[in-house]
Amino acid sequence: MTTPTLRTSGGARRRATRSAWLFLLPFALLFLLMYLVPLGFAVVQSLFKLQRSGLGLSAPTLTFDPAFNYGRLFGDADFIASLGRVVVFGVVQVPIMLGLALFLALLIDSRSAKLKGFYRLAAFLPYAVPGVISAVMWSFLYSPVTSPLNNALQDAFGFTLPFFSESWVLWSVANIVTWGWTGYNMLIIYSSLQTVPTEVIEADRLDGASSWRIAWSIKIPMVRPALILTTILSIIGSAQLYNEPAVLQPLSGGTITKTFTPLMSAQAQAAAQNYPYAAAQAVVIAVLVGVLSITFFKITNRGDK
Amino acid sequence: MQRKKATAVFAAGAAILSLTLAACGGGSGSANTSTSGSASGASSSATGGYPAAAKEITFWGWAPGYDKAVEAFNSSQSAIKVKYEEISPGAKGGYEKMLNSVKANQGTCLAQVGYETLTSFAAQGALEDVSSYAKSSESEFAPGAWNSVKIGEAVYGAPVDQGPMALFYNKKVFEKYGIAVPTTWAEYQAAGKTLKEKSSGKVSLTSSYLNYDFAGFTWQASAPWFGVEGDSWKVSISSDATNKVSAYWDGLVKDGVISKAPMWDQSWYTGLSDGTIATHVGAVWIAGILKGDAKGGSGDWAVAPMPQWNAGDTAVGNVGGSASAVLKGCSDPEAAWTFAHWMSTDKDAFAGLVDSAALYPAATALLDLPALAKEDPYFGGQKIFDVFKDASGKVVTGWTWGPNMPETVKTLDDQLGKTWSGTQTFEEATKATQEKTVSDLKAQGLSVAE
Repeated sequence: MTTPTLRTSGGARRRATRSAWLFLLPFALLFLLMYLVPLGFAVVQSLFKLQRSGLGLSAPTLTFDPAFNYGRLFGDADFIASLGRVVVFGVVQVPIMLGLALFLALLIDSRSAKLKGFYRLAAFLPYAVPGVISAVMWSFLYSPVTSPLNNALQDAFGFTLPFFSESWVLWSVANIVTWGWTGYNMLIIYSSLQTVPTEVIEADRLDGASSWRIAWSIKIPMVRPALILTTILSIIGSAQLYNEPAVLQPLSGGTITKTFTPLMSAQAQAAAQNYPYAAAQAVVIAVLVGVLSITFFKITNRGDK
Repeated sequence: MQRKKATAVFAAGAAILSLTLAACGGGSGSANTSTSGSASGASSSATGGYPAAAKEITFWGWAPGYDKAVEAFNSSQSAIKVKYEEISPGAKGGYEKMLNSVKANQGTCLAQVGYETLTSFAAQGALEDVSSYAKSSESEFAPGAWNSVKIGEAVYGAPVDQGPMALFYNKKVFEKYGIAVPTTWAEYQAAGKTLKEKSSGKVSLTSSYLNYDFAGFTWQASAPWFGVEGDSWKVSISSDATNKVSAYWDGLVKDGVISKAPMWDQSWYTGLSDGTIATHVGAVWIAGILKGDAKGGSGDWAVAPMPQWNAGDTAVGNVGGSASAVLKGCSDPEAAWTFAHWMSTDKDAFAGLVDSAALYPAATALLDLPALAKEDPYFGGQKIFDVFKDASGKVVTGWTWGPNMPETVKTLDDQLGKTWSGTQTFEEATKATQEKTVSDLKAQGLSVAE
């Protein structure tokens, strides 16, 4: 669309365009090779049916059958259950985590806060621990045998917390995610708070607004873009839940199954060497996440007008 | 309009960014490790500076001691250069890495593949038939082990070891509570109850068993999980013979004599070390695990024959045992076989494997290795391999592995997990696994006879 107008413009402009493209090239190339090509490959693969016959002691063949994997997927009770699980997870965990992040950000941003640097770092620190490592750490705290938490509870009150019971296990996972990601989200919200003009705050203060009132009526509306961004990132994160449940799985006594989350389910299919079906699951997850993110963004944008 | 488009682009951009980040930071994904592994492999082979004439092959495994065997082989001759890379154990992602490597045509030549997974590898077309070089070596190996590396007329590698089972028990704990070594499963259960009572709940009889470790019990009870009928698979994970084993372990769970520490977890090693887990019924290589990861139990442990269903029986199950399998796409299958055969049959190399991993040789000429007749201080000076020598001749025959074991055992483990925590019975678990396995196999077009 834009190229014809550029072609007619002067040489200096053309050179500027060329250097712009040059700067873009490394990203565009990586984006193409590392993202678009694998994505396309997954979509193509999902259209094939893995076919074996008899005893199946020779390599399986792939036949083109676009509806096969997608058809199987919607009848796959385990996969559907895993989708439901991350939806419940997202609906409960994301608001709690972001509420906490916003609260912490406002606290650190408030005028009377002391040791801002320390608290900012302390809240952010869990995020610096790689996800798998923090899950391993929490697995020690949850472990049916070694849990110091449960041992202390047992000694003091004579009961233990069933971290891995059917009804608890999702929230045990949510706890780890919240622990790990609240600081990260807080930092995004906090940096957004820094852009709120001090004149505005001062004017409100002169008008007699309390700190709570300023936070509610001025600061929160002004960091809306940051809240939307963190919500979308968190929705995506929930849909892609993998590290924490995968690490806890061996300890869970069967409550975390190989199809606990959609990504675990896709991974299990890949491990069973059924790549076309794994690809179909991955494509469905990606489409759902895309639709969800765009829908959320549209809804929040409409409110603006 | 423009605005809306920007909105969509932004949302998509955010989605993409986090997707790619997640993909890079995943860590547990096997694809990551396999690509990084090959990248480092390529660079090191480019700068290796080996004589150009040497044929170079790559060998992937995880058993402790394989690295030393490879070193010894490389210094013993100059025609073949083996490059050993230690990878995660098969069930913990190693097998996926191998299959991905075959798919990506990376040319990895040899890999440690458990007998239980070999059929599944063959069913993926991931193995190279080396029967033209290997056939003449058949008589050098125990028949059971040789049968595990061949399917029909094809031979896919060299058998390395076997996994006859026995009872590992903490002798010190048994003596402390005055308990005799159990010879039958009934006595074993009674021992568990006594331990629990006399230690007021501190000492557990044993821990939970998953996948192939659990399969060993049904192996002993002559309850094979798979069979071949004509051109169809017969799936019998749930059967009357399995149910006998199931009912027994239900009883043990009910008695509360099973530790909550899952096998292979840090808490399991701790329990084996400090005597709060008193026994483990497992294959010979468990000796290597005990010595390596439960050092605190040194001098306390001993080995006795596997408990029997009826007094006087001599049936033994098998867990594990693996081959050096030649992978599809290997540039030089003959060189790969040459090394694989050497490692499985060389006296000095195998003596090292006995010491470091308690591997019990598949090659019959190695059964009188001095390393297998040594008194082991970890086991209070007992010559433990005497027990296994006796056991290896009594391993029940007729066991067949299915065509997609990685999938089958993932299903099984989901079910067994629930069972060990007491929310369902073993009979329910094996029944559910049976049904899921049959439907999974059928979904891929395999023929299943019921």
